[in-house]
Amino acid sequence: MTKTQPMTIKRLPEPRDKASRRSFLREIKGFVDSSHRPRLILDLSAIEQITPESIDLLLECVGHAERGDGEVSVAGASPQTSVILEITQAASVLNMFPSVLEAADGHQAHSLQFWKPGYTDDRAA
Amino acid sequence: MEMGALIVAPGGDAGSAIRDSGLCAPSWPVLGKTILQRWIERVQGLGVGLVSVADRNPQEPNRVHTMVEWAKEGVEQVLLIALGSYAEIDLPDLIRFHSEGRRQHTKVFDQQGPLGISLLDRGCILKNREPADQDSDLASSRYDFLGYVVRLSSSVKYRQLVEDALEGRCGIQLTGSQTQPRVWIDETAQVDASATIQAPCYIGPGTKVKAGVALKGCSSVERNCEIDFGTTLDHTSIQPNTYVAPGLYFRESVVDGTRLEHLARSVTVDLGTAGLSARIGTQARHAHRSPRLAHGSGLSRRDAIKEEEHYP
Repeated sequence: MTKTQPMTIKRLPEPRDKASRRSFLREIKGFVDSSHRPRLILDLSAIEQITPESIDLLLECVGHAERGDGEVSVAGASPQTSVILEITQAASVLNMFPSVLEAADGHQAHSLQFWKPGYTDDRAA
Repeated sequence: MEMGALIVAPGGDAGSAIRDSGLCAPSWPVLGKTILQRWIERVQGLGVGLVSVADRNPQEPNRVHTMVEWAKEGVEQVLLIALGSYAEIDLPDLIRFHSEGRRQHTKVFDQQGPLGISLLDRGCILKNREPADQDSDLASSRYDFLGYVVRLSSSVKYRQLVEDALEGRCGIQLTGSQTQPRVWIDETAQVDASATIQAPCYIGPGTKVKAGVALKGCSSVERNCEIDFGTTLDHTSIQPNTYVAPGLYFRESVVDGTRLEHLARSVTVDLGTAGLSARIGTQARHAHRSPRLAHGSGLSRRDAIKEEEHYP
């Protein structure tokens, strides 16, 4: 199979819809398996405040992407969701962008330092 | 000379936060005691036995009635404190200044303006019995205060006061004993031996700090809280009776029950719906649910991500 460096943009399914969740993860796994260094962009702009179930789903996506040496970006997170991702430490394994467009461009809009707090060194210590 | 002290506070209650008013900061405890309690202690330290707390609501006539009743009963001076700031005013010096002046009313100012603290003579009170009269700009003396002041207008200011107190930049005396230099832990608090406590910090009465918890950056945990396994508090204050779920990282925040105010981002978030914090004493505390990553205390991030889905 020819490996490419593709990118896909998706929205998270409803947190309590198990069938949609299974289907979503199946698609992600299929995408990662057929790609080399895949880039997965998850559009959170429709979510006011992320739920723990959705954070778990994000982290499963990270797990899949890392197995394919890829990366996961989230775009359009609300201020509330950004805070939740920060305090649950999910933000430390995600690239965060203000919009899907900027995520697709790959620019680290705003400063990366803003989104990735300086405690990463402390944790590693 | 008999003196009374009337403290005007949101809700007029020494122990409660006024959650709907957006003015929590003056009601929150600062390292064991509320600002109101600290004012009461300072006034009582002057030997003033007549102390009353009235509701800030201007519709409540209590404060005027209280002052007028005191004046009728022969109280010569009333110290009126509108609770909204922590100010280390030298009260004996204020009284001396007022007595030496010719006005019946002395107002305290700092460089930003009035601090809401006044000293009124009996005659002044009896002449101005209506609330509108009390609020009017009476001919008054101006007492300029140049010492330590924090106006508790926001959670940012609240955190400033906490940090100043922990760093010894103001005169707030902390409750609890110092278990190590600049680490104050109440005797009734339970702190697991594996918790990392970086000075300065404060842990209040009845609080439980579980294994793997880290406190740093002038963090404070007030009374009857529970900080669950592996959570880190960095430049953060936890208000009384708050449960915080395991494996979380808080920075530059104030958490009061389920309400988090992130000061660096200027965002308020309800953590209750995500099960990340709760008011102790409510059922929500037992229904918390952190994301799996948050449960990975002691594990690497990737180890904490488990594959649970099965694909047909």
